[in-house]
Amino acid sequence: MSLPALLVVSAALFGVGVYGALSQQTFVMIMMGLELMLSGAMLAAVALWAGATGGNPKGQLLTVVAMTVMAVEAAMGFALVINIYRIRRAEMTEKIKRLRG
Amino acid sequence: MSGGTLVDVAFWAFAVAAVVAAWLVFRVDSMVRAAYWLFASFVAVGFIMVLLGARFLGLVLVLMMAGEMTIMAVFMVMFMMNPAGLNPMTMVHQHRTAIIAGVVAFAGLAGVGLVADFPDRPVAASSEPTAELGRELLGDSMLVFETAGVTLLATMIASIALAAKRGRFGDAAAGSVAPELDPEPPPPDPEEQAGHDHHHDAAGGKEAGP
Amino acid sequence: MSWASPLPAVALVGAVLTAGATAVTVLDHLAGARTAGRPVRLLPAVGRPAARSALLLLTRRSATPRTDAAAGALAPALLVGMAAAAVAAVPWGRGVAVADVDDGIVLVGAAFAVVMVGVYLHGWSANSPLPLHGGYRFVALALSYEMPLALVLIAAALPAESLSIGAIVESQAGMWNVVRQPLGLPLYLVAGAGLAFWGPLDVADASDLAGGTAAEVSGPARLAWAAAQGAVLTAVAVVGAGVFLGGWHGPVLPGPAWTALKALALLAVLAGAKHRLARVRLERFVVVAWAALIPLALVDVFVSGALAL
Repeated sequence: MSLPALLVVSAALFGVGVYGALSQQTFVMIMMGLELMLSGAMLAAVALWAGATGGNPKGQLLTVVAMTVMAVEAAMGFALVINIYRIRRAEMTEKIKRLRG
Repeated sequence: MSGGTLVDVAFWAFAVAAVVAAWLVFRVDSMVRAAYWLFASFVAVGFIMVLLGARFLGLVLVLMMAGEMTIMAVFMVMFMMNPAGLNPMTMVHQHRTAIIAGVVAFAGLAGVGLVADFPDRPVAASSEPTAELGRELLGDSMLVFETAGVTLLATMIASIALAAKRGRFGDAAAGSVAPELDPEPPPPDPEEQAGHDHHHDAAGGKEAGP
Repeated sequence: MSWASPLPAVALVGAVLTAGATAVTVLDHLAGARTAGRPVRLLPAVGRPAARSALLLLTRRSATPRTDAAAGALAPALLVGMAAAAVAAVPWGRGVAVADVDDGIVLVGAAFAVVMVGVYLHGWSANSPLPLHGGYRFVALALSYEMPLALVLIAAALPAESLSIGAIVESQAGMWNVVRQPLGLPLYLVAGAGLAFWGPLDVADASDLAGGTAAEVSGPARLAWAAAQGAVLTAVAVVGAGVFLGGWHGPVLPGPAWTALKALALLAVLAGAKHRLARVRLERFVVVAWAALIPLALVDVFVSGALAL
């Protein structure tokens, strides 16, 4: 469990997340890709906290902030999905090409 | 960051599980399975955090994701046309670009991780990470903590305002275009009226494609 | 932190969960007989778990088409695993614990949160409307009881100034949390009944859904699900005994006996509640949970915090 190995794993999670966020058509699946990217970022932050900063608590703080970002992303994402579906009956990106309300 | 062989074995098991589960999220047809594969990936990441000593963060990640992924599964079933995945189908676009972008992101970040020379200052075995995090949150970094709290409050209010069916002044959707049973045709605009049929055909053709 | 070696630890947790699930069936039978006015006889009640298990083992397995078999098998395993994680974090006597981790209360919270995943998957796996409906009901219920549950557990950690359950029990040497935080235990039991889809909050496996998430399972799978419910109830009782009823503190008897007795008492309360109280309608419970239980739990946290200062 060395620092480079941890960073490679977090990079893999981030890469899969990038693939998912770009390739998926459904809003909820795109959100899953975003969450995976954040998961990779959090793992990298904790790995650097544990391996390179000597346990500086600000590293953990950064992870808490990333978790907050994740919660905000999920809540706003779900709210927007509900709103767009109610108004446009759209659950896919292709269906909201017209952004004018 | 040293540990026994057992810790190494556990780390590699969780690492492989996290990445494979993440990959399966976009490979399975059943949407509930997709949501829970993502949950499995998060649980593995949380366990790696626990192995690294960040026990509080890892456990909170599992706690948070259990609820979030269940909500996600419910949303998928609500909004997707084929939630159970009984008929296999792919719902992807710009597939090749996405794969290339993912691989490039992985290669770039992994390269940084392998090449960069990080200082080797492991966390002391005697430290109390949870207590230190608590002192940091309510000490030096209180402003960050409070900002995160206020941001979450704003998010709650905004998401309820967006998602609520009824507001203070009546129906939230009042004045918006009534949804049609056929989701495809856009609300008729005077200037688009002429090209309407053509547009509809094109959209229909796209949906029938792979 | 104190750790037991793996093999005895697994054996101990397994024994506790088995004994707890058995006790749940016995107490359920006794409470049912008492409520119905039938004679309360101990001997048939003690034989009931074995009889019921044998009957379920011999019953033929029913099957719905195109089930999600993996999810169906995972669901009871998840529940038992999470119950085991929660039970392992609770010490039985001073320094007698399987794993008194220093973030024990967070571990318990995480384990209880994952129960929601298990129950929803169980409802999803059957590929049938009534179980799915039960799963949805449980999600709505769980999102409502989750906040009060987390808040009362945090409140219990405040006087101990530690997240370790061992330290929480230690802090109750003078006065138990059930007296010091009168709101804690009632709120915890409401949330615990919801968590174990039990008694008045049995909306997921309710009889008005023909058994809810368990409507389509029979035979050994049904037994596994009943055992999983018993394990979750046991975890609720053991954690409650440690966090609110002073764990090993008590006169004469040794510590582990006190913890077990207190857990049994909580199980008896839950079994009585199942037969005495009518099932609560979900939409009413959701309103009550968000409008009353969460504010009450917040009051609990604030008062406990002020007293701890």
